[in-house]
Amino acid sequence: MDATSAPHLIPPEMPQYGEANHIFEMMQNLLEQLLIYQPQDPIPFMIEHLSRDNDNVPKIVILGPPASGKTTIAMWLCKHLNSNLLTMENLIEKEFSHLASEAKNHYQKFKKVPSTLLVRLIHERLKDEDYIKRGWILDGIPETREQALMIQTLGIMPRHVIVLSAPDTVLIERNVGKRIDPRTGEIYHTTFDWPPEPEIQDRLAMPEGISEMETAQKLLEYHRNIVRILPCYPKILKVISSDQPCVDVFYQALTYVQTNHRSNAPFTPRVLLCGPVGSGKSLQAALLAQKYGLVNVCCGQLLKGAVADRSNLGELIRPFFEKDMAVPDSIIMKVLTHRLKEQDCVQKGWVLHGFPRDLDQAHLLDSLGHKPNRVFFLNVPLDSVIERLTLRRTDPVTGERYHLMCKPPPTMEIQARLLQNPKDAEEQVKLKMDLFYRNSAELEEFYVDAITINADQDPYTVFEYIESGIINPLPKKIF
Amino acid sequence: MEAGGDREHQARSYLEKHRIMQLLNHLTSTLLFFQPEKPRDYLIAILERLRLAKVTGVAFPFFMDNSNIVAMFEIMDTSGKGSISFVQYKEALKTLGLCTADEVLKDDGHSITLEKFRHEVHLNGAKMQKGRV
Repeated sequence: MDATSAPHLIPPEMPQYGEANHIFEMMQNLLEQLLIYQPQDPIPFMIEHLSRDNDNVPKIVILGPPASGKTTIAMWLCKHLNSNLLTMENLIEKEFSHLASEAKNHYQKFKKVPSTLLVRLIHERLKDEDYIKRGWILDGIPETREQALMIQTLGIMPRHVIVLSAPDTVLIERNVGKRIDPRTGEIYHTTFDWPPEPEIQDRLAMPEGISEMETAQKLLEYHRNIVRILPCYPKILKVISSDQPCVDVFYQALTYVQTNHRSNAPFTPRVLLCGPVGSGKSLQAALLAQKYGLVNVCCGQLLKGAVADRSNLGELIRPFFEKDMAVPDSIIMKVLTHRLKEQDCVQKGWVLHGFPRDLDQAHLLDSLGHKPNRVFFLNVPLDSVIERLTLRRTDPVTGERYHLMCKPPPTMEIQARLLQNPKDAEEQVKLKMDLFYRNSAELEEFYVDAITINADQDPYTVFEYIESGIINPLPKKIF
Repeated sequence: MEAGGDREHQARSYLEKHRIMQLLNHLTSTLLFFQPEKPRDYLIAILERLRLAKVTGVAFPFFMDNSNIVAMFEIMDTSGKGSISFVQYKEALKTLGLCTADEVLKDDGHSITLEKFRHEVHLNGAKMQKGRV
């Protein structure tokens, strides 16, 4: 019964199902909620949590100094993600709430709301049906470490925290030109963001507290507090410089908010590398196999190996090799499935390259149940490919491979006897590239979640891009 | 940080008391085994049945039914003498998630027969359900 004496053979459908439906993350969220609320009756609580299905709803906190553009970004994100915005103002303005009117009185007298009251207001507001279903974006709260910790103890955890930053001088200058539209609450600026319509222009009012002195005061206080708040959110924090055009800040914030964080889910990489000849597929596959222990499955090598072994399938393939014709799909599939079904491939994961070359082959691979969970397209322009391939040479005496530009032979004697593989002649290379590009559009359509990489760089840079593509979760579409 | 340690302790004893980890393990295994199209709805259905089972006192159809228990017993009983040792029995219960590592099971000196094994599995299963207060 021990796993050590007889290793458990887990059928490959199970991990594929787990990954596709994000089972691990779902269970992790369930456990988190159970531990936070510790209900007396766990089963009805779990039923309610599962039926709510709000694991992926936005839960964002935006922090930043005055005049950094927090409210603008928060409002844009709200509209884009269809979520609810929570600021100090709309917390206090809520009707029918005893807590809110208490807070409002306090604010009118002292210009500040005490932390405990604020946190209780937030807690009350976040229990609202709408906030549970569509998520929330907190703008400028928490203001101090005390508030941050109190919110955390109540079990309210954001999934993304964005901190805007800019040099103080820029902020003070910006704040002087700030104008607010009293009807919609949108913020405009005299220089950077002037509204086009004249009716809005007439309505604009100057908010209070934007003189240089007051801004400097607020900045001092902000800097004092933010240093203590940042350690509260270690892994979910991102700092974005707001000293750039609004649109740029917005797009950076949006991409960040839409990425999931790396989870601890068990993950066996099944990587597919697609690209024209000379894009570096074999090299990258070898690097991946070496670093992560994946099994390097090169289609061409598999077929040649089968022929060399003189196995049954090899005998079938040999006539095609001898006549220099393409091997039919059905035979390739037999060899490939045989390899991919082996225990080491199932357990350690695989890197496949050289197959599929067109849509039919992709469908075949899919139907046999070997779906890759990461697909990469390596893009290289034709000139680079020609350069890479036509300058390849082999030394017939030692068998060493050289490249006339990147890895030249050390002595003239060796250079004199170098030979070129007839497959690397320019016309042959061009033919093969054409063939690939004819089919690549269909392949890109088929593999929707594929990641395209510029392979026209040095191999280790490309390797790092591939690594980050494998390790990070696939980017989610907009909720 | 005494306060932190205290809450962690509280959380752990909560998990123990309601046997949450065993329940979650069971749910995840059923999900991966049956691979339903809609995992959430499937989980909700199982939890509803569990809730009803507790309320009405009906025995919940467990993951392991009779034929599985017999098969497990036969795997452990390699020499075919009809009984397994106490250590094997304890390991089996741990694998099924029916007892925790620290629980002390009484060893009455006799080796466990198939009948006793089956009886104990059912007993522990029922205990687990009732234990989920």
